Amino acid sequence: MDLLGLANYAVFMAILIGIYALLALGLNIQWGFTGLFNAGIAGFFAVGAYTSAILTSLPATGRLGGYELPLVVGWLAAMAAAALIAWPIGKICLRFRSDYLAIATIGIAEIIRLVIRTEGWLTGGVRGVTGVPRPFGELDYMPSQIAYLAIVATLVLIAYLLVERQVKAPWGRMMRAIRDNELAAAAMGKQVEARRLQAFVFGSALMGLAGALFVHFNRSITPEAIDPMIATFLIWIMLILGGSGNNRGAILGAAVIWIIWSVSELLTDRLPTEVAVQAKYARVFIIGLTLQLVLRFRPEGILPERQAGSPPHR
Amino acid sequence: MKKRTVAAVVGAMLGAAVVAAPAHAQDVKLGLMAAISGPIAALAPPMAAASKLAVAHVNEQGGILKGGKLEVVLGDSACNPQNATDVATKAVNIDRVIAVVGPACSGAVLASANSVTIPAGVLMITPSGTSPEITKLKDKDLVYRTLPSDDYQGRALARTLKARGIAKVAVAYLNNDYGKGLAESFKSEFEANGGTIAGYSGHEEGKASYRSELATLARGGADTLVIFDYGDGTGLSILRQSLENNFFKTFVGADGMKSEGLVKAIGAANLGGFFVSAPVGEASASLDNFNKAFKAAGENIDAVFATTSYDAAFLAALAIEKAGGDKTKLAESLRAVASAPGEPILAGEWAKAKKLIAEGKDIDYKGAGGDHEFDAAGDVPGNYAFFKVSGTGYESIADMK
Amino acid sequence: MSFMDFLNFHIVPGVVLGSIYAVGAIGITLVFGILRFSHFAHGDMATLGAFVALALVTAGLTPWAALPIAMAAVAVVAIVVDKLFYDYLKARPKIMTVMASLGVALMLRAVVQVVFGVDPRTYASGIVRPDEYFGILLRDRELYTLAAVVAIVIGLTLFLRHSRWGKAMRAMSDNPDLARLSGVDNRKVTMLTWAIVGALCAASGFMLGINNELHSMMGWQVLLPMFAAAILGGVGRVEGAVLGGLVVGIAEELSIFILPAQYKAATAFALLLLILLVRPRGLLNGKVL
Repeated sequence: MDLLGLANYAVFMAILIGIYALLALGLNIQWGFTGLFNAGIAGFFAVGAYTSAILTSLPATGRLGGYELPLVVGWLAAMAAAALIAWPIGKICLRFRSDYLAIATIGIAEIIRLVIRTEGWLTGGVRGVTGVPRPFGELDYMPSQIAYLAIVATLVLIAYLLVERQVKAPWGRMMRAIRDNELAAAAMGKQVEARRLQAFVFGSALMGLAGALFVHFNRSITPEAIDPMIATFLIWIMLILGGSGNNRGAILGAAVIWIIWSVSELLTDRLPTEVAVQAKYARVFIIGLTLQLVLRFRPEGILPERQAGSPPHR
Repeated sequence: MKKRTVAAVVGAMLGAAVVAAPAHAQDVKLGLMAAISGPIAALAPPMAAASKLAVAHVNEQGGILKGGKLEVVLGDSACNPQNATDVATKAVNIDRVIAVVGPACSGAVLASANSVTIPAGVLMITPSGTSPEITKLKDKDLVYRTLPSDDYQGRALARTLKARGIAKVAVAYLNNDYGKGLAESFKSEFEANGGTIAGYSGHEEGKASYRSELATLARGGADTLVIFDYGDGTGLSILRQSLENNFFKTFVGADGMKSEGLVKAIGAANLGGFFVSAPVGEASASLDNFNKAFKAAGENIDAVFATTSYDAAFLAALAIEKAGGDKTKLAESLRAVASAPGEPILAGEWAKAKKLIAEGKDIDYKGAGGDHEFDAAGDVPGNYAFFKVSGTGYESIADMK
Repeated sequence: MSFMDFLNFHIVPGVVLGSIYAVGAIGITLVFGILRFSHFAHGDMATLGAFVALALVTAGLTPWAALPIAMAAVAVVAIVVDKLFYDYLKARPKIMTVMASLGVALMLRAVVQVVFGVDPRTYASGIVRPDEYFGILLRDRELYTLAAVVAIVIGLTLFLRHSRWGKAMRAMSDNPDLARLSGVDNRKVTMLTWAIVGALCAASGFMLGINNELHSMMGWQVLLPMFAAAILGGVGRVEGAVLGGLVVGIAEELSIFILPAQYKAATAFALLLLILLVRPRGLLNGKVL
């Protein structure tokens, strides 16, 4: 067996796991710590991705762009854009109860997706944005991937440390208080709405960064990347499996689910040809079943939320 | 589920992946990235079958290189970049393919080319990626397509309609890179030639009713509706709803609409005013070979992108044979076997090609879906024919200029 | 554009589509009201119903004869799904049931894809031109769809208002604890609710299929308009779901006058957001959960 090839595959998987981990960390802030059911992850991912792409890519006819700004600007702008979009959405939607918030955010993500597909003057429409630069893209295949992994891993680590620090700080305790008993928290004078909005915006900014990292890896972005299955629901399953309310759980969940998603395909390839195509449809079945099994046997996830003091009562 | 259990499961899966396929030293693997799930899932099975038919022809007629088997590594690109890059990485790194047929969707082509196949030096031939963005790829001459960019077919169709005396049309296009690309090139050429576009509307797939927009298009006064969509998808709804409400008299589609399923669902008797265009090769004998073999394999010869899928796989095999299995020589070998001059090789003529390559002679593959004279960017110009519905399928009635 | 044209090509399709949305929305609103969660598997259950009917049609039945059998089949499936995937989550926060329903949606869809493939299918081939009724153009299947929807709505309303079980359902919708105290067996009511919801899913899927084509994503694509319809009309109110369905259906068809046709799907969401902001109880004053 080709160890070098396997290593390369592992590096690639690690990059995608890193990007998904950022998304899961963002969702963890919103759902795990604050109890906000954001089912529109794809929308914030898209906003971050397209912002960075438009700002850093080469010029193209018929579309806004050609600014060719440096990468760092693109990535910071991606986070800012996602946060900016999250702010009005949060202001309007966060007061809904969780089911309604889920439906509203799915709707908003769909509207964002339709706008991206239709407004070609801004986003290239269905053609997408190409000519996006990639850091260390000039290196050979394997070194280039390893370099990109280093960048992704660093950013995931920074995000993780930042969020962990916030969670252990009074801010984190307050968010959990708001999540678990809103009335009591409000009675004690905590500004429930403002804090929720903060969490929502902060989580969305991380999702925007994940989008930016995705675009630059592929040097292009097209609307199919914002499909709800691959850009929203998969991440929900990652977080539930890994353990919502636990940052390490978020990263672990991203790793486990992506590995299952990717490696299961290798196994279906070995099936006879007539069944191979059907087996690809079954991948979605496996993911749905995994979700059921986790909910049934380990709803708190692999790494449950760490409670300082009282046992978990969710 | 304890942590150890999870680790064990994951480890087992990785282990299974590692030991999964035993490889015979002489065998060569060809990656096949199909959009099996996702928005064009209905189109994928015949495309995969056509590529596999090409591989079967190779293996039946002497095999690849020193008589080894050409093996297909099938992956689901799901028409999105996340899956496409994943599949490409696996194919390139674990299965060690040196050439890939696919992916089917342009976005998937861009992503997997940019992050996997171009850095890894692997040849990529897409049978259905029509976006002009693919032309712009900085691809070290590694990315090709066996069908023309949308630009060509849209323009050719515009000229053909004008030549047939149709001066006023309405256009309904599916809002994806295929439909929009065709619509834009059609519109610009049609208007440049003096035609009038009496209505121009894009739609997303998956809605239950398109009657409103069709009614609005019909009010523009045109008798002819040009549909840039898939006959195995929303195009069927659009055509059916137009026919049922008497919105237009004549309907014209591009190759995406050339579907047998559509004829079956609507009935040939109702499709007298329905015409489609599709890319064809100069040597119609090549297309005949393909049709005969594909039908014998139990498949539908009118399936969209079937001919281009066959050609992509066959060309990849020819390139590998010519390059002697050397990855670095693939691009120039592909150009050598696909371009004139050379002894013409038709679809299915693997044994003949193998012999000529062994003798060091130049060959020129004339495919079922076109001649594939690649230009500098790896694109091909198109030869098209205009088809009407006949029986359960289609019949060519004119060449398109 | 004449008035008849406007009626026939913009209003009538909207009404037909709206009634299909209405049937689905009734099911959603029942689950919202009685079981108190958003049933994300509703669309894919409708897909299942449509394809079960297709299997029966392929076996030789006429489509409208296959409908009751498909409804019964999906009713059973719904009860089984509840027992397997939702029941044990009863005591936990409802959000977990919502997630479980998402998983069920994925599983149902995968089953349909594996068994029936991903090609679009139809119940009958050929095209059907409409008949004219005083200037209004309607096809038989559309007439039957509208008739079926009316029958369902009347039947259900009578059932809920006058029968013992209907009253039990309403009691559980208002206050489950009180209902239990009054002797209502919540488990039986839950089973009955799922049976009705399953049958309604099958009906909406079938009607969607018979008026258009069948494909494996058809249910998922109408899920959000149906949710919009249920919430728009007022959660827990059957008449509200019907009104909501009609409003959403007609609005979608009329939206092309204001927006490019690509944004048709956004109409339902826009309406949903609007009603949540302005009047969360819905048009007919349902619950705010």
